Amino acid sequence: MKVFAIIKKGWAGASIMALAMVIIMAYGHAVLAEPIKIGLMAPLTGPAAADGLSVKQSCEMLVENINAAGGINGNKIKLIVYDDQFDAKQAVIVAHKMIEGDKVVAGVSGSYSFTSRAAAQVFQENKVPFSVGYAVHPAVTAGGPYVFRVTILGHVQGKAGGMAAAKLMGVKTVSMLIQDNDFGQSLAKGFRMYAEKLGLKIVSADKFKMGEKEFSPVLTKIKKLNPDLIYNTAYPHDGALILKQAADLGIKAKQMGSEGLDSTIGFLEVAGKAAEGIVITTNLDRDSTVPITRKYLDGYEKKYGVAPDMTGASTYDALLMIIDAIKKVGTDSEKIIQAFRTMKGWQGVTGKIQEFTPNGEVIKDVELQVVKGGKFRRFGVISDQKVLQP
Amino acid sequence: MLQQVVNGIIIGSLYALIAVGLTMVYGILRILHIAHAAVFVSGAYLGLLVYTYTQSLILALILAAVGCSIFGWLIQRFLYTPLLTEARIVPLIASVGLFILCEDLFRLLGGPYIRAFKVDLWFDKLIFFDTVVTAHQCLIVIGTAACLVSVYFLINRTKLGLAWQATAQDMDTAKAMGVNIKQVINFNFIIASSIAAIAGVLTAINYNSVLPTMGSVPAYKMFAIVVLGGLGSIPGTIAAGLIIGMAETIMSAYFGFIMPRDAIAFSAMILILIFRPQGLFGKGV
Repeated sequence: MKVFAIIKKGWAGASIMALAMVIIMAYGHAVLAEPIKIGLMAPLTGPAAADGLSVKQSCEMLVENINAAGGINGNKIKLIVYDDQFDAKQAVIVAHKMIEGDKVVAGVSGSYSFTSRAAAQVFQENKVPFSVGYAVHPAVTAGGPYVFRVTILGHVQGKAGGMAAAKLMGVKTVSMLIQDNDFGQSLAKGFRMYAEKLGLKIVSADKFKMGEKEFSPVLTKIKKLNPDLIYNTAYPHDGALILKQAADLGIKAKQMGSEGLDSTIGFLEVAGKAAEGIVITTNLDRDSTVPITRKYLDGYEKKYGVAPDMTGASTYDALLMIIDAIKKVGTDSEKIIQAFRTMKGWQGVTGKIQEFTPNGEVIKDVELQVVKGGKFRRFGVISDQKVLQP
Repeated sequence: MLQQVVNGIIIGSLYALIAVGLTMVYGILRILHIAHAAVFVSGAYLGLLVYTYTQSLILALILAAVGCSIFGWLIQRFLYTPLLTEARIVPLIASVGLFILCEDLFRLLGGPYIRAFKVDLWFDKLIFFDTVVTAHQCLIVIGTAACLVSVYFLINRTKLGLAWQATAQDMDTAKAMGVNIKQVINFNFIIASSIAAIAGVLTAINYNSVLPTMGSVPAYKMFAIVVLGGLGSIPGTIAAGLIIGMAETIMSAYFGFIMPRDAIAFSAMILILIFRPQGLFGKGV
């Protein structure tokens, strides 16, 4: 009997202790493991699905790496990915889901201008930080102080293109092929402004709808005008067809494009030999020696088997900025916004952000890449402050 | 400008090829087979698949045509034939639904990326003075001509073609006269789908791209072309395709893009419906 009593006491004691430990661990674990939720919006379905995939994979890779290294101050990040279906209405729904349903700390846009601007308004109204990857239209950040953009504004990039054309490509006359949407129009505006300012003559400017496949008619017209340079503000597929059909027609003009063409599978493969020599303004330098960029370029290719492109890289930076801000100041919205505003000289995959303007725009160098031997290579950099000011 | 004429003929030929299948199906079943665009896209994917493994364009075309015939037959057997007794709008909605489904199916199976479809022919391009015609474009013209001549021959010079014409005029009377309607319908879908497959492969080669959404513009544009030409009239559709191709080319070249290029086809359709509803060559719906 006594033996049993001792055993019972021992077991009781041990059980209580064990129970207590379990409770403490569970409670402690819950507190420690509170994941930091960040929402990501991308066009996973629809005509830009390739970009959506690039964005999703880049961000997932980043979150995996950070979580493997312990997360943000011990807390893991939970990336909640939503498909905006390349539709502004869906973008609004997704934004509400992220803010009210998932209660995210911040949102990241890996999407185009028209969807980003719709979602940005929702984030602004609800005072939740929204970090935009590669949408370039000014209206995206116009809503207010909660929206930041890590890529270069459309017309700034256009201005850089104009300067590059005038100073680095040695051309005098230009024909423009302008995509008729937020992206294409803002780039064209900047380009025209600077090109004309620096003495180039715009001999023709034609608009086209996104998804256009037949450029032969307008290219035939341009061929007759014989400009030195053709500047287009197209996305990868349309741009590839422009180049291919121009080459087919025997057009000898030099070619220039924008970050819209920054895609290996969508642009380089489809355009093939016709892409040789085209210069684009973008923010991903394939020849970069900056460690963070190289790590991204090599890491992505190793993990996914394809080279990454600008959309993935820009959104990677947008997410990384939020993560760095949270690391520094915690998850309070106001503090995150302040961190963005006062940040200087932040080095990302897509270049060094000198600072943010009061509007939430970045000031950073514009990379110029040229297609040589079927790959994007470094061509130059535009760092003229007058150009870079939004 | 001769070059613009060439441009227009190429665009028009592709339109005609895709639209012919649609008009054939309408002629027999009085159904607007919007899912025909899905057959078109599947032809491009099948052709790419075969070409990747065999490097033979002929094989790619043949096997794509075979594959699409099966696809087209399946659509007919399991989607349209059961719905023939319903109101005409029902198979149309089913067709649209199937097309939307297929677009995402292609994306899931083939990936969202644009795939290159590089075919090197034995010459690069022909140049007459200032006008350039690439090898791929020559292929399109030859292919289109071959398909259309074959269809003409089949419809007008064979017994099955005669049965087809009879069924197109009046299915019930033809049935009463002993025409094997089932056979005619099958034949119809096989031919229409094969042509769509060839159109898909030729389009993909010409633009060096296969992508899941390549059917979305053809889906609704060929509908406009078919109405313009006359629902059920094959020559009408061919003519309409070429007309629209030329119109779009001239519009783009000389008037800039005042209105979206696709709108031309629809403006033409609206005008035709107002002034001559049976289409340019049609004999009444």
